[in-house]
Amino acid sequence: MRAYSADLYRYAHWLCRDRHLAEDLVQEAFARAWSAWADLRDLAQAKAWLFAILRNERARMFARKQVATLAGELDESQLPPAPSFEPGLEMAQIVAMLPETYREPLLLQVLGGFSCAEIAAMLATSEGAVMTRLTRARQALRQQYTEAGKRKAAR
Amino acid sequence: MNCLEFHRLKLADPRRLSAEAQTHLEGCPDCFAFAQDVDRSERKLEQALITPVPDGLADRMLLGRRGSSRRVWRVWALAASVVLATALTVVYLGSAPPDQYARLAIEHLVNEPEALTTLRDADAEAFRTIVQNFGGTVKALPGRVRYIRLCPLEDGTTGWHIVFETPEGLATLLLVPGKQPDATQVASAEGWSALARPTPRGYYAVVTASSAATARIDRMVQERIDWKA
Repeated sequence: MRAYSADLYRYAHWLCRDRHLAEDLVQEAFARAWSAWADLRDLAQAKAWLFAILRNERARMFARKQVATLAGELDESQLPPAPSFEPGLEMAQIVAMLPETYREPLLLQVLGGFSCAEIAAMLATSEGAVMTRLTRARQALRQQYTEAGKRKAAR
Repeated sequence: MNCLEFHRLKLADPRRLSAEAQTHLEGCPDCFAFAQDVDRSERKLEQALITPVPDGLADRMLLGRRGSSRRVWRVWALAASVVLATALTVVYLGSAPPDQYARLAIEHLVNEPEALTTLRDADAEAFRTIVQNFGGTVKALPGRVRYIRLCPLEDGTTGWHIVFETPEGLATLLLVPGKQPDATQVASAEGWSALARPTPRGYYAVVTASSAATARIDRMVQERIDWKA
């Protein structure tokens, strides 16, 4: 649990864009993992198993409409008071704007370290489809980042 | 393997190149430069994604006690919110704040900062069509259309959120059908200045970073869009 809590938290944070919700989600995922520990047949698959549980818990959260309820608790300190053009923040903002179909496999690969085949199994799709999404996600990131750099240079 | 195939594989998974792709990389200077560029982007991406993890997260997960205390706090916060909302409703019953639509525009902009940070060239024709459906005619664009999105607003209504690139900088225009302020409203909050003006089918709101710029953009909107058409 200690080994994976940081990666899971970051993944949850990028899915929810809310640190409190992310922490709740990780808590729920670990609670469910404890109760289903006997189902894990291969310890080498523990990380992928935990990520899959977290994805499922998020879906449950949406189904229970907890996300809509918690939206009112958005921590305003997390919102930039004005558009930020700091290099790190800019890339983060571009990632946040990616469509979820692109963002999710990207997060699983960069934060989780999973291969395209592993991500395909987690998202219940084909490896080719995951490769296409990842290619497009990185193309979009690179294009947006380059354009942002040009805008900065022009100011 | 050709260069196109290599690019696709490198972008799909920069860290796991097949032996065939690795061989191509070693023999192709263009793809070698491309791979280096992708690796640089990947490092920036990793830096951006590595968000700080709350102190003691793993310990709290193990002890399983963090959630309960915060949930109690949430219940109290919810109860306090209900009391406050009820009190405000009683105070303002029948008399909405005189600047509510202008403030709503600022609130929406603050909640969607990405509308100003992820600019794309939006379709000017789409803007003309939106205005037409709103009962107006665009005589000239107020600026370069950089963002168009139909958004749920914070008061439960829906409106078009448009961002223009103008000589004044980026200007936000909200077109909201259905509700109308009695008169022009202005508001300033969170470093933003807004002006909401009634139109025959609803209202529009202009938001910029200064009251002077907002007034100039509003004047431009009035000159370039005929709302009575």
